[in-house]
Amino acid sequence: MSHNHSKPRGTLYVLLVLGLALSACSNQMEPAKKAIADIEAAVSAAGADAQRYIPDQVKAVTDQLAGLKAKFEQKDYDAVVAGAPAVLAKAQGLLAAKDAAVKQAAAKQAEAAANQAAAAAQALATDWETLSATVPDAIAAVDSRVNILTKSKKLPANVTKDALTTAQANLADAKSSWQTATAAQSAGKISDAVIAAQQAKENTDAALASLGMPGG
Amino acid sequence: MADNKPPASGPPSGDTAYTQWYEVKAGDTLWKIAKAHYGDGSLYPEIFKANQDVLSDPDKIKVGQRLRIP
Repeated sequence: MSHNHSKPRGTLYVLLVLGLALSACSNQMEPAKKAIADIEAAVSAAGADAQRYIPDQVKAVTDQLAGLKAKFEQKDYDAVVAGAPAVLAKAQGLLAAKDAAVKQAAAKQAEAAANQAAAAAQALATDWETLSATVPDAIAAVDSRVNILTKSKKLPANVTKDALTTAQANLADAKSSWQTATAAQSAGKISDAVIAAQQAKENTDAALASLGMPGG
Repeated sequence: MADNKPPASGPPSGDTAYTQWYEVKAGDTLWKIAKAHYGDGSLYPEIFKANQDVLSDPDKIKVGQRLRIP
């Protein structure tokens, strides 16, 4: 008799254990679901551009999140609940990490722009140095020759009357451009100074060619 | 007609990359040189004035001398 009674009791026990286990599992399902949602929300809060600025950190979190989701699919809710806090902490750190990376990128960009501006300013300074060392001499050489040729009763074989007229016009333009250049340089407008000085150089080069004189 | 190499001794003060030079040849006079460069020999004093560091008399120039042509 007692033997007959123990069988249903054993079955009941097994059913009870299974029921408890299932209950425990389903009890953890909601917290697990919430934990995953919290992590997803934290990743989302980091912004779409987090991937651009901190790709490695985003990948680490999304990989771990994928692992938790896989465990959730396997109904291993305990593992999800146990593993979620660490992933959530990392996910919540993404926003600050991204902001820091954005600031760092902006600082780098500003530094690069400053370096570029300094290089451009140096290039202009070098150009000005070269032009200011040669253009006045070229203008003086052309001026001297034009003055002498205008006194000449007959021009030399290699200079026509038109060539002398062209040289005079180029000389006048060169003097005017050089005046503009030095005024701009004095006013600290080095870019304008270089442009005007280059114009003066072109004018003097043209005048030197018209007069058959060698360039510098 | 002219070369633009400065004298071997180095350019006197005031000479620049644009200074034009002429090397005196046999039979040259300042008049001839002025005539060749300016078309008018009577302008030779311009060359004499520009070369007073090497010329003391416009009638005395030496073959091989390098003269500035202003």
